[in-house]
Amino acid sequence: MLILKAQTKWRWIIAGYLFLAGLGAGAYATGVVADFLGGEWAQIAKIGVALGFPCVAVGCGLLILDLGKPQNFWRAFMRPNCSWMARGTLIIMTFMGLGAIHIAFWIWPFSGLGEAEGLRQTLGVVGTVFAVSTMVYTGILLGAARPIAFWSTSTLPILFLISALSTGIMAVVLVATIQGHGHLGVVHTLAKLDAVVIILETIVLLMFFQATHRVPEARESARRVLAGPVAPLFWLGVALLGLILPLLLELTGMALIGSCCGILGGLILRQVILLGGIHAPLKAGRFEYGLPIV
Amino acid sequence: MARYGFVIDLKRCYGCYSCQVACKANNHTPQGIDWARCISTETGTYPSALRQMLPMVCQQCAEPACKEVCPTGATLQDENGIVTVDKDVCMGCGYCMMACPYGERQVVEDWKTYFPDAEGDLDVYEAHCKREWEKKNGYGVATKCDFCMDRVKDGQQPACVETCPAKARTFGDLEDPESEISILIRREGAFQLNPEFGTDPSCYYLPVR
Repeated sequence: MLILKAQTKWRWIIAGYLFLAGLGAGAYATGVVADFLGGEWAQIAKIGVALGFPCVAVGCGLLILDLGKPQNFWRAFMRPNCSWMARGTLIIMTFMGLGAIHIAFWIWPFSGLGEAEGLRQTLGVVGTVFAVSTMVYTGILLGAARPIAFWSTSTLPILFLISALSTGIMAVVLVATIQGHGHLGVVHTLAKLDAVVIILETIVLLMFFQATHRVPEARESARRVLAGPVAPLFWLGVALLGLILPLLLELTGMALIGSCCGILGGLILRQVILLGGIHAPLKAGRFEYGLPIV
Repeated sequence: MARYGFVIDLKRCYGCYSCQVACKANNHTPQGIDWARCISTETGTYPSALRQMLPMVCQQCAEPACKEVCPTGATLQDENGIVTVDKDVCMGCGYCMMACPYGERQVVEDWKTYFPDAEGDLDVYEAHCKREWEKKNGYGVATKCDFCMDRVKDGQQPACVETCPAKARTFGDLEDPESEISILIRREGAFQLNPEFGTDPSCYYLPVR
């Protein structure tokens, strides 16, 4: 009997990091797009951009917290030539730098710069390139672990990208509603847009599970997530809380509760993916061995 | 200059776990951490059921997946092909644990005692092990087998090789065509574990039958 155990090293804290990095980058990208639309969207632009840097920074704080030797965290970008974690650290640091400068445009004594539309939007475009890279990177980080077939697919970065956009938009909607802009037409438009993104996310999630059929360890991952010990978290947290409820609530105009559910669902999605990570069995001739502990 | 490697003969191993214990005694690993593990699997059903052992060791790959993903540069590969971790550089992210196909990387958070029910201080033997472990490896960083480099430099065999009563483990230089392991690899149809990951392990296995 081949027993395949899931990895236990990366749990909630790493899920929180992947989630917050995605949410912050998604909100920032939403803000920059809103900035180009102008008019009522100006409020949305400010909220989105303001969410970018702090969320990603808190996410990185979580990552550092999870390290075995947090005092060595500053070495994390030393090998960008081969390690995706080092590349990602550089991407995220650049994004945080640009995000922080963008926020500073509204703060005295730099507030004059914010009026310079060309400069602000150029910064926004460059920042968005790194925001999208951040969202995709969270998927590639896991995907670069070759022995874990569940993660090592090209659909995972797309799934994380779309989930990051969705949670980012929902975070903007949530903050806008709390600040009393809920009656604005643009907030409703944003909620409707998120509904479309959620439908896309559902399709990509289906494709993600479809990609697990090829090798036994990925099939075991899918079984673990869909029908095994992780199933309650998946069906209640990801399917119901993260996809069905926000879709229904956003289409019926209850965006506040909808976005809360969806944001929480985004966090749970990361955790579910981590809990499903199973290494390939060792193959020695016709015998197969599950790794004892990872 | 050499490329140190192992040949492990699956016909010979009968699963006594001496290698695992000898490794512990030599490398002072805490409870639950084994660098030279012996793992087993079962196939078939009674009356034709089979149990087969797989003695493990770090495969000291020529193209180590752990080194590729290591973001800090803490993972080093010396001129003999031995992959080691610089404990002062490693930040303990655990990425190498995810990337190693052989499960040979462990991040040790703290000393885990062998006698959790014992009262008072650690006994002298365990205290000695703890001191040695802290000197060489420490906590919060990735740790791994290094083919007992201290012993090899002194002209000895790795602990698991020396202790194996079945002589299932052989240690030597893969680059020397006349070494015992090179001859075994040529003659006995040796194979590497999971070559599909492209790591080119320095550890070869001889087939069961």
